[in-house]
Order: sequence, then C-alpha cells, then structure tokens
Amino acid sequence: MTYTFTSHNKQTTTSLGFFLAEHLQNGDVVTLTGDLGAGKTTLTQGIAKGLNIEDRVNSPTFNIMKCYFKATKPLFHIDAYRLEDSNSDIGLDEFIGADGISVIEWPMYISKLIPSEVLSINLIHAGGDKRTITISGNNEHYDKIVALIKGASL
Amino acid sequence: MISLLLDSSNKNLSVGIGKNGKVLAFSEYEAWQQQSELMIPEIAKLVNDNNITFEQINNIVVAIGPGSYTGVRIAVTIAKIMAFILKAKLYTVSSLAVLASATKPTICLVNARSNRSYFAVYEKDAMLIKDTILSNEEILAFIKANPEYLLSGDLNYLGITPITIDRFQNMLNLINKENEVSDLMSVKPQYLKD
Repeated sequence: MTYTFTSHNKQTTTSLGFFLAEHLQNGDVVTLTGDLGAGKTTLTQGIAKGLNIEDRVNSPTFNIMKCYFKATKPLFHIDAYRLEDSNSDIGLDEFIGADGISVIEWPMYISKLIPSEVLSINLIHAGGDKRTITISGNNEHYDKIVALIKGASL
Repeated sequence: MISLLLDSSNKNLSVGIGKNGKVLAFSEYEAWQQQSELMIPEIAKLVNDNNITFEQINNIVVAIGPGSYTGVRIAVTIAKIMAFILKAKLYTVSSLAVLASATKPTICLVNARSNRSYFAVYEKDAMLIKDTILSNEEILAFIKANPEYLLSGDLNYLGITPITIDRFQNMLNLINKENEVSDLMSVKPQYLKD
C-alpha cells in the first residue's frame, strides 16, 4: 500500500515521525530516501521524540550508526551515505531487524542488508518548506501503518 | 596460578576466574551491545570479590571469535591491554571451541545471521573440523548425517536444544602451548566474514 501527501512545513514531518513511533514495533525497518535537506533527519527526530529519546538526534553521516537504548523502544539510526561502493561488512546486520526500530538513510548503499519487507518513505522538495512524502508498505503490518497515516490528520 | 577468562564474542558477557585449573568464580549474562561498558567493571568486581589482586593474574584466556562484529573485538582489546600491563601470558581460543563437550565430539554453532552460522566440530581440545561459516541448510544436513555428535551453542534460532557446557572450565582446559600468544601485538579477532 502506498500513500502520498504534502507536508507543508517541518512540524508536519516531525509529527509524521512522532505518529510512526507509536505504531512501529521492535524489529521493524524503515528506509528513508530523498535529497540532502529533504527532511530525513527531521523525520527521524520526530520518531525519536515519539520514543521518548532525550539525547540529541542528528544524522550519523560520520558515525554511520547511532543507537539510542534509553527509549521506550530502542532506535538504531543508520546513515549509509559513507558506505557507497565500500561493500564492507561492519556488522550492521546485527542491528537491522534486531530488538529495536531501525531507521536507515541512503539504504541503496547497503542494499544487501535491507530486508525484503520494509516501510519505505521517500521525501521530495516541493518548493519552499513543502515536501511531497510517499510512504509504502509491503506487508500487512506496514500496510496497516500506511493506512493509519492516511486516516490521521497530520 | 590465577587465570582470567574473557568472552564477549556473542550476545553474552562472560568473565571468569580460574585458580590452579579449576573455576573459582564467574559472571555470565546477556549484554548485547553493552559488553564494552560492562566488561571492565565485571572484571574488577570478580577480582575484588575473590580477594585477588590484578598482579596475581598469571594467565589471560580470551575467545577471539568467530561471532559478533563488535563483540569479537571487545574482549580481545581488553585482554591484550591487560596482558601487556600485567605482563601476563595471553591465550587465544576459538569461541566455538569453548562450546564443546568435555567428553564427546560436539558440533559447535553460533548464529552468523542471514541464514548462516559459524560452525566447527571439536572433541575436547582437539579440532575435528576447523571454524568456518556455512548456510543453515548445510548445517542441518550435516547434523542429520552425523547423529552421534552433540550440539552446542545458543541454538534457539535453529529450533534445537543444545547441551549444557562449562564455558569457563573449557577455557581453562585450553591453556596450552598451542594457544599461547608469542607476539602480543599481532593478536587479531577472528570474524571469518569478509
């Protein structure tokens, strides 16, 4: 199931993350795609807020992964940007799908590690602060989340 | 003769102390991704609780993998630094070898994820099949073909009930010339995946 809508400001993108945090379960994998500045980190910050994470959440472009265990559900935030073409195994597979929620930016650079069933979110600049957000699920659980987002007034 | 026994190669944190070839005390629990924070305090606690001084430690035995990417590095790093500072002898052992039964040939397994496992067959301290990585399908076929072998490891993911082992006694039994490290700085963890 796929749902596309327009986020008119940063707050809406954050609210989407907050909403997602409530419905995501340990073991779930969310992939985020979109250009620099499209709102991938903003969305993740919304998820972190929804998980009651108090630590500062920023894009782990340098670190590659930041884990937040002080949370209602653990969050594994992965940014695979620096892994492009490196093909190196640094143990990320131990986290993706493990006991926490994995949020993965630039998933195409670690495509071998991405499970077949994911909730994928694409963010596109639509002028100013507007973003076109497309959310797709490919199993019953993720489809249910997409339907909930569709029904919620964010 | 005091030996410090360290293993963080999988999900558990395992710290033990041996005295004259027998296990004196140990601490073992699941500590996924927290072993780096917890291992040194656990070592300090065990040493203090058993009225030992760090200077008394003659041997350090460490499981060098195969196993978790970060896990195989934590105990090895701590063991190398401690061996260097304390001038203790360092022994490196396979994390699969420490799973073997003390009496019978054992298929030793650790989940390598993506439907694969780290696999070896050990009989006491003798290696029958060297540590390697195989698909779970290959492993289940091997188990079927070799029903006389015992099965050891955290095997819930294969739906198998493993034997009970004494990891710390096994580590003590693996203190031998073959496992003794001669060049401390050359010790590397065994990850087995490339």
